[in-house]
Amino acid sequence: MNSVGDGLERELKRLDRRALGRALSRIANASVAEALAGMQGTSRGAYRIGITGPPGAGKSTLIGRFARKRLDGGAQVAVVAIDPSSPLTHGAILGDRIRMDHIADDPRLFIRSLASRSASDGLADNIADVLATLDGYPFDEVILETVGVGQAEHAVRSLVDTLVLVLIPESGDQIQAMKAGMLEMADIYVINKADLPGADKIAREIRAVLKLRQHLDASWVPPVIMTTAADNDGLAALNEAVSQHHAFLRNNRNADEVQRRRLEYHLKSLVMRSVAEILAKESNSATEPLHVAYARVVAGLGKE
Amino acid sequence: MSNLKGKRIMIAKPGLDGHDIGAKIIALALRDAGAEVIYTGLRKTPGFIARVAVDEDVDAVGLSLLSGSHKELVAETMRELKALNASDIPVFVGGTIPAEDRAMLMDAGVVGIFTAEMRLDDVVSELARKLSPEQAA
Repeated sequence: MNSVGDGLERELKRLDRRALGRALSRIANASVAEALAGMQGTSRGAYRIGITGPPGAGKSTLIGRFARKRLDGGAQVAVVAIDPSSPLTHGAILGDRIRMDHIADDPRLFIRSLASRSASDGLADNIADVLATLDGYPFDEVILETVGVGQAEHAVRSLVDTLVLVLIPESGDQIQAMKAGMLEMADIYVINKADLPGADKIAREIRAVLKLRQHLDASWVPPVIMTTAADNDGLAALNEAVSQHHAFLRNNRNADEVQRRRLEYHLKSLVMRSVAEILAKESNSATEPLHVAYARVVAGLGKE
Repeated sequence: MSNLKGKRIMIAKPGLDGHDIGAKIIALALRDAGAEVIYTGLRKTPGFIARVAVDEDVDAVGLSLLSGSHKELVAETMRELKALNASDIPVFVGGTIPAEDRAMLMDAGVVGIFTAEMRLDDVVSELARKLSPEQAA
């Protein structure tokens, strides 16, 4: 470990986890107005790894093992795991950490579970602010787990540095649907539960899709990695691929463009929540013409 | 209905109990009342439970206890919370708690004791009352 890492480790030992936990609650519960008022400038940002994929792909379990690997490599790691909220009751079971804890029960690891609340893009309300808050603490890496996604929830792309898409052999049909969505977005592909039948076939299909994509950006060829719960080689390959992509980004990335995309996501998510807040206050009449209702909501936005 | 909306509640099982059906039923009832429930699984130590409660900044910790060692496990969990500067996080208890131990647990500082014969609706509304006294109807 280098001396910077040593310094951070000492800092983290002093880290007041009670204060951090509370700071994250404050920002997660902030209204749009409060989020805007509390916005900090960008500080030294942690390297962000997004893990996404369909429900049941084994994301949480994989993250537990992966986080352990990163910790053992000397990185200070935080995990943010998002589970869906019920649109009816707003309740949620935040069950990701139960799958992580029995693997990664390690006091060095900071895990925070979030409910998606009103967000429907695979993330959670105020997630941009939550990540910005973590940037103010001495974490080297933040692993972000999205809710289980389908083909369209690729907002996470804007917020992370390295995006890992986790699929399983049963995802075969989803590959067809994902060709124009998630499948174009990831930097690293994982076929998890690769001991199940069909793993080779799905890996072939993904490689075929990626080949079509290569003319767009030939500088990074996304690896397709097979993992199983029992096998450590796959996990080591994933760990290595993430580190390689991190190194690749250091040399091949336009920081302004990254910043612009993050700001755009942040802006969009705040506007969407403002719209949701206005709609929640409205009692729409069934007979009102659509264009009138639309104009009223847009006018309401102007007053926020 | 949704009187626990926005509350983050941890349901934890310290000690050596072998099953967690009761804990899961409570977790689902709290979810259906609007809470965001963090469930941590079987056989966790008080130190682990306190650490998760702090990292997750929960509004309350519920300990599900069937093993008979509730006195020790409740006291130890509260000690661990205190050590992490989190003794303000309310602790409630559920499971198999003999009537003669109730007073002792309440004296130790738990905010509620919910046993299997209680209706889920009553558990939810009493918990909501404890966590948000101002909005109690």
